[in-house]
This record gives sequence, C-alpha cells and structure tokens, in this order.
Amino acid sequence: MTDHLQLSASRTLMQEMGLTDAAIERRKRIVGLEPADLERIARIKGLVTEHAEDYVTTFFDHLHGLDDARPMLASRAVVDRARQLKREHLMAMVNGDYGIAYAEQRLELGALYARMGLDTRLFLGAFHQLLRHIGSAVMKQFERAPADGFECFMALKKIAFFDIALIVDILVFERERVIRQQQEAIRELSTPVLQIRERLLLLPIIGVVDTQRARFITESLLRAIRANRARVVVMDVTGVVTIDSKVANHFLQTVAAARLMGATVIVTGLSSDVAQSLVTLGIELSTLNTVGDLQGGLEEAEQILGYRVLARDAGVASPRGAE
Amino acid sequence: MSVPILKQADVLIASIQAALSDRDLVELRDHFADQIGRHRSLGVVIDLTALDVLDSFATRTLESIANAARLRGANTVVVGIQPDVAFSMVQLGLSLDGIATALDLEDGLAELAKITKQRGHRRDR
Repeated sequence: MTDHLQLSASRTLMQEMGLTDAAIERRKRIVGLEPADLERIARIKGLVTEHAEDYVTTFFDHLHGLDDARPMLASRAVVDRARQLKREHLMAMVNGDYGIAYAEQRLELGALYARMGLDTRLFLGAFHQLLRHIGSAVMKQFERAPADGFECFMALKKIAFFDIALIVDILVFERERVIRQQQEAIRELSTPVLQIRERLLLLPIIGVVDTQRARFITESLLRAIRANRARVVVMDVTGVVTIDSKVANHFLQTVAAARLMGATVIVTGLSSDVAQSLVTLGIELSTLNTVGDLQGGLEEAEQILGYRVLARDAGVASPRGAE
Repeated sequence: MSVPILKQADVLIASIQAALSDRDLVELRDHFADQIGRHRSLGVVIDLTALDVLDSFATRTLESIANAARLRGANTVVVGIQPDVAFSMVQLGLSLDGIATALDLEDGLAELAKITKQRGHRRDR
C-alpha cells in the first residue's frame, strides 16, 4: 500500500520535473550511452548482483563514518527503506533497461534522500565509495584483460552519471520547492490594501519589491479600487529600504494603472536617502504625486475627497460657549 | 457594430459594449467630432466597462477623440476601465496621457461637472 502510494508520488514528481520518455532519452545521449555499453554492462552483471548487499553496506558505512551525515541516519525505518531502494538500484543498474520505470525508481530514492536531508556532497561521496568498490572487483575479474575491464566499468559509470544527474536534479528541485512555498506564503502576507475612509485606500508596501511582487501588488490594488470604489490611494513606501530604477518603474506602472481606473495615487514615505539616490540616479518621478510622510499623504487625500477632520472639542466648543 | 452616442444635457455619452474593429473606432471618432459641433456639447464620456481588452489602436483613437473634442471645446473622461485591462495597458506602455479617467459613469459625470465649472463656461448661467 505504502509502496503504491510512494510510486504514484514519484510519478507526480516526474510530471512536475518534466521527465518524459523523450527527456530520458536526451539524458542518455548526454552521458553518451551506446548499445555497445549495454553488452559491456551485461558482462559484469553477475559480479554486481552477487555482491550487491556488500556494496550497499559500503555506501551506508561511508555515510555512518561521516559526522555530517549522522543526524540523517537516526531513523532506523528510513535507513532500512533507503538500503532496500539502494539494493534495487544496483540490481537495476546492471539490468540493461534504463527507461521511464528506471528513472522513476531513481526519483523515489532521490525523494527519500531529500526527506532525510541528505545533501549532494554526502551522496556523491558515498556513491563514489560504492563505485570504487565495484571498480576494484571488476578489475580483479578482468586481471588478464584490463582494457576490457576498464571499458566495462566505464559503461557502468555512464549509468552511474545518468543516475547522479537525476538524483542531483531532484535534490535541487525539492529544495526549490521549499523556497517556492515560502515565497507564496510571503506574497500572501505582504500586500494588504486597506480602506481607511469612504473611497480612500491605504497601500502600505514593506520589503523587497521584485517584478513578480510588483505585479501582484498592482493587481490587488486595482481589484480593491473597483471593489471599494476608491478615488484616492495613499501608497506608503516607508518600509521599502532601497528603491532603484527597476522598483521605481514598477511603482510608476502601478500609479498609471490606478489612474486608468480613475484613482489618484499619492506616494508617501520616501526617506531622505531614497529621495537623494533617486535624484542622483536621474530617475524621472515628476509624474508622481508625492508627500513626505503618511500623515501628510492622508491629509492631502482627505482634502481631495473633501473631508475635513475636526477635533471634537474644537468643533463643539463654540456652540456650547454661546449657550 | 457602430456605437450609439447619447446626448444628456451638455454631455455626450458613448458606451462601448463589445470589442470594436478598427473601422468601428474610426467611425466612432468621426461621429463624435460631428455630434460635438451639432449639440455644442461641453463634455464627452466614453464608457469601457464592458470591454475586456484595449489595444494600442483603440487607445490611440480614444486619445484622438479626446484631442479633437478639446479643440472643439469639450472635455473627455474615459470611465469604467477594468482592473485587468488597466494592468495590461500599463504593461504595454499605454497610459491615455492627458485624458481624464474615472471609475464609472457616475464619477465620470461628476468629474466633468468639476472640470467644466473650473473652466468657467457653464452655459446655463
């Protein structure tokens, strides 16, 4: 049952990584695998399958000997599963069939490494130990024809490099997946559009603005303009530490898009450093309606909308005084 | 399809309901130029609420309608540009420079009233 689940998980992963039959063929061409190699591998097949268990032990012994790897080998169940997959890997490596099913097995093992937290360095080190042992066994068998032995081993090495490429790709892919998820989370957290008066929106921008985020900010602002029937937007950039020409350009686009929907944008919170560097860079921001700080921006917005804010005491004082 | 132009007091209103061919756009422009003179209008409102795409030719035509209207003494307000349309226009570098914009027809008419008042030629006085 779990096997079945894991297999379908690695199949989804293959789709995400775009590993099709054609892609696998391309990968084989990249390592230079030829039909002659399959025959060579067949000649050393017995040697590998017979001692597969020893080679697996070599791989994991090497990891056990490394301080860096020890925390990853803490869970007995996971290590047993990894050993089993490694054994299957060795058997499949000399089996002569390197199609999509083979790649799928590699992905499953790679995904397991990623879950264990085994990184590329450790994997490469241990895999090299394993290949070295196979290599010396091959050389022993071909003692009288070392050139043949070398060719056979090199054929196997092509498969090994094919495997390494897959494993490294998946380790990187899994690590990037975490980054992608975090970016998604940050994006969702980071762009509130707040209505603070009838027809007045506040858009506080904090942190780094890249192209993708700028797009997201603009889209959510435009949507909010329509939903709240906003006429004025105060865009506060106090929290944006550096503004270069690219970011400035994004802001200009946001302002232009809001204007197309009939909303006026007031930009506030350009710090003195930012203002100076923008001027030094010669970035043209004269089309922007800027006010020094958020308070000033809100006051200006209220003026445009025709609001007048009165302190209660001041407002009520005179009629009372008249009584 | 041609776009009907409605007269409402001093203002001409055209509501574009479907994507227009280049020919329709040119026709609309000519039609406006003609009607502004005939009705001695002070304002033009072009409503794009129903449009989900606005290309560069349409943008240019809107600009030329606005410029021609200004020469004949009328102010133009474009209203109802949808969020997605606004976004893609900005990406394409189209910004309707020099034309007033408003959220919807109601705001557009209010905006026109304001501009006309500023310019101080309300005819009914």
